Amino acid sequence: MKTSSEPTPPLWATRLLRWYCAPNLLEEVEGDLHEEFIYQVGEVGLKKAQRNYITNVLGFVRPFAIKRKSSSISTPFLNMNMCKHFLTVAFRTLIRQKVFSFINVAGLSLGMVCCLFIFLWVQDEKGVDNFHAHRDALYRIYQTTHAEGEISGSYATPFVTSSGDFKEALSFAENLKQDIPEIKYATSYATGYELPWGHPETFQVDNKIYKLEGSRAGEDFFKMLSYDIVAGDRENALKNLNSLAISRKMAELFFDTPEGAIGKSIRYENKLDLVITAVFENVSSESSLKFDYLISWETCKTQRIEFASNDWVTFILLEDNAAAKETEMKINRWLKGRRIDVREGAKVELGLQRYSDQYLFSNFVNGKPQAGRMEYVNIFSGVAIFILIMACINFMNLATARSLKRAKEIGVRKVIGSSRISLVVQFLGESSLLSLLALMLSVTLTLILLPAFNIFTGKQITFAFFESSSWVFLMCLLLFTSLAAGCYPALFLSSFKPVRTLKGMVPVTWVSIWFRKGLAGFQFVLSIVLMVATIVVSQQTGYVQNTHLGYDKENLIYIRIEGELNPKYQVFKEQVSRMPGIAMVDRSSEAPHAMGFTVVGPINWEGKPKDADVGFKPTSVGFDFLKLMNLKITAGRGFSRAHVTDTAAFMLNEEAVKQMGLKNPIGAWVSAWDKKGHIVGILKDYHMNSLHEPINPLIVDVKEDLYFGVIIIRTEPGKTEEALVSLEKVYKEINPNYPFDYQFVDQEYDKLYRNEQVMAKLSTAFAGLAIIISCLGLLGLVMFSAEQRTKEIGIRKVLGASIADIINLLSRDFLKLIMVAFLIAAPVSGYFMHRWLQNFAFQIELSWWIFGLAGAAALLIALLTVCIQAVQSAVANPVDSLKSE
Amino acid sequence: VAGHLISKNRNNDLTMKRAHLGEFEEIVLLMVAMLEGNAYGVSIAHEIIAQTNRDVGLNQVHASLQRLEGKGMVASKMSDPTRERGGRRKRLFNITAYGRQTLIDIQTVRTSIWNLLPSSVKPTGI
Repeated sequence: MKTSSEPTPPLWATRLLRWYCAPNLLEEVEGDLHEEFIYQVGEVGLKKAQRNYITNVLGFVRPFAIKRKSSSISTPFLNMNMCKHFLTVAFRTLIRQKVFSFINVAGLSLGMVCCLFIFLWVQDEKGVDNFHAHRDALYRIYQTTHAEGEISGSYATPFVTSSGDFKEALSFAENLKQDIPEIKYATSYATGYELPWGHPETFQVDNKIYKLEGSRAGEDFFKMLSYDIVAGDRENALKNLNSLAISRKMAELFFDTPEGAIGKSIRYENKLDLVITAVFENVSSESSLKFDYLISWETCKTQRIEFASNDWVTFILLEDNAAAKETEMKINRWLKGRRIDVREGAKVELGLQRYSDQYLFSNFVNGKPQAGRMEYVNIFSGVAIFILIMACINFMNLATARSLKRAKEIGVRKVIGSSRISLVVQFLGESSLLSLLALMLSVTLTLILLPAFNIFTGKQITFAFFESSSWVFLMCLLLFTSLAAGCYPALFLSSFKPVRTLKGMVPVTWVSIWFRKGLAGFQFVLSIVLMVATIVVSQQTGYVQNTHLGYDKENLIYIRIEGELNPKYQVFKEQVSRMPGIAMVDRSSEAPHAMGFTVVGPINWEGKPKDADVGFKPTSVGFDFLKLMNLKITAGRGFSRAHVTDTAAFMLNEEAVKQMGLKNPIGAWVSAWDKKGHIVGILKDYHMNSLHEPINPLIVDVKEDLYFGVIIIRTEPGKTEEALVSLEKVYKEINPNYPFDYQFVDQEYDKLYRNEQVMAKLSTAFAGLAIIISCLGLLGLVMFSAEQRTKEIGIRKVLGASIADIINLLSRDFLKLIMVAFLIAAPVSGYFMHRWLQNFAFQIELSWWIFGLAGAAALLIALLTVCIQAVQSAVANPVDSLKSE
Repeated sequence: VAGHLISKNRNNDLTMKRAHLGEFEEIVLLMVAMLEGNAYGVSIAHEIIAQTNRDVGLNQVHASLQRLEGKGMVASKMSDPTRERGGRRKRLFNITAYGRQTLIDIQTVRTSIWNLLPSSVKPTGI
């Protein structure tokens, strides 16, 4: 066959072959392929031969062709002898350098303890609401509203349908189940104890009276949710009118045994007899719903049962084969023609959220439940990882810093024939050994500290040591730490050139020095950020707790108005006022520190603009309320018994006047619902809620005959005990069917900041940990640096350097580092803290001193750490350091 | 040669120990023996195609040769460069004594089993 030029196989395929094929095989393989190609050109033609060539090249992509022949004599890469040897060396290094080992193990185990606690906490958080057998088909209904360009969302499902009847609205869940085949079960749920109007409710059997917190739920409730029934009937527990399911605790309180409670009658709020149909196991902390009893929904529909709020929620259980998306559409279509409570121009849409997600994602963003506790879970997980990384950085820093000490060892190893891989294995092994020690220490510490942690978080977490998830986590933690801490040192140390290290040349490069400094700097950035967070959070918490609210919250007690307290209010007031320890008594329809109720529609006033949209906090009080609370009046006068017309008078706060746009408020008429009257005075703005909320418009009138609300008692300073005794005595006489229960306003007010208090404690703990870990690292670096420069220091001293000079010499570099860290940390922390403060309507200012303090603290702590070592080296006798050469 | 040394009941033991040969490896080994010093990737592949009429890839042959060499049944050396391969050398394979012994063992076992087959199963001519 004659060709003008030699036929060639495709070049790219040959290149590919050259790239992957092991060099020792390449020649023969390439030769064979080439020969075969030439042969095939003659047999089947160029095109086909080229194709076959490519197939052949690809066919050689197999381990035998790719695997490189090892250059050294192949020994198994981890034989027993080597392992033993590595272990011995690791232990020797550990023991020889006690301080460094201690710093490493202590730092790592602190980081791990932190991780472990957060892991336990996150596990616990994620476990909430996950125990229900039907959890995959359980959903919660929420509503997204588009109105006036704004999107809002809520879980509330009191939808008024075509009949317009409230009872019809209460039947939403039942109707839904009836009309939509995809829904197997549906139930409404409402608590009796939450804000705005909730409270523990009173139950009585014979002479046993207790207040307990519970809820109302539909007949499907126990069929959908897996709460254990210990006595009675799960199917029909909440089916009938006046049926009641109670917890084991409540059953034991009233009837001694759960079985003994079934079929018994119990008096509710002294107005209704309910029959106990089932006893369920006490609700565990795994459940986001908390209740000691459940009143059947049927009872709510026909009897006058109060809700904590009219915004009850609805849960549904889908049929096995039903899809959530389709069911969602069906519900929306079903509801479309029925609802009459949707404002003009507004668009509402119902959605389904997985029941097990509701605990972590309960805040609405853009009308959908997307945020919530999950943010805390993420923040804390992030902090845990960062702290662990900080601990790993210590290890990296110290290991690389000490590299000089081991350079000779590495050189000798390499000369004898150790491959780089086996060196990497050795150093990784050492880091794993340290991590293992740290892990054991941290597990012990965690077990010891767990009870304290539980008190701290208010949870009942146990360390499920024998569960696979814990083991997996511990293994991951070990693996991560060993790798994160060991990788860089292993690669760095194993890269040393034996010739140079054995000559005594120190393989220190600028890159490695900067890397080390960068790591230490990073630690201090984190520490400073956490310190700023601590200062801001504690300042803000202090600010909200100590700000003067506009009224005097000390020495105030309130009790709920129930039973005979309203009819006999005047008698009660008179008798209590005369008792020892009591300064004053009055009433209000809302607890003064947390007014939950807001209305827009029912409030009208003189010259109200058509488009006015002012949300009022309405409250009705007694005549002495202003005096009792010590409120300031800026214009007009307060309510007074002297004016007969004051039962129809109103007072506003300044904010209300501003938002209503009233020029001359005094004397203008206002109306609330069907009550109309004139404004007699303006109150100076005071905080009616926590400082998360701005001061809202307030409208106050006098009503001393409301069946709800609270009686507020001001006790004489320092006589709280006496006052309580007096109160209880009068209470028992006047309201014998209700147990005496009271709250302190200042304590309840503090409870509004429980989240912030936890945040403050946590950030303090984290900042402390971060500082300790970074200082350990810094100490290690300084010690190393001092050790390195022993001779230099000796010579300097001999030549006349003072102790101060030496300290300066050793600490200068580190102080610069902290300055740089501060410059990075300040804006970062400023940004995050600014965002956090947006949770509050009233915030402290992010002033420069906060950052200054954090920076100064970091500087001072670092300086102290450095000085401990620096002074030691500085005062050492130069003779000792110089005599050996 | 070795046939009479192996008693019947030890037969299996020996074959088990010796011949860790796959079917394809056995063929490749036979080809190496057959080609007598001219055995290399391409020639073996072509010979297998010629003798057994089955489709063989060069990669399979190379992989088998590697394994056989690992087991010590073949030995190899590089040839002188040749023009037809663009100046590249071949790796030429030779069967070792051990390889030869293995082939013989396999054959012996086969024959002894064939002899035990009832005549109804035996095809005529064998």
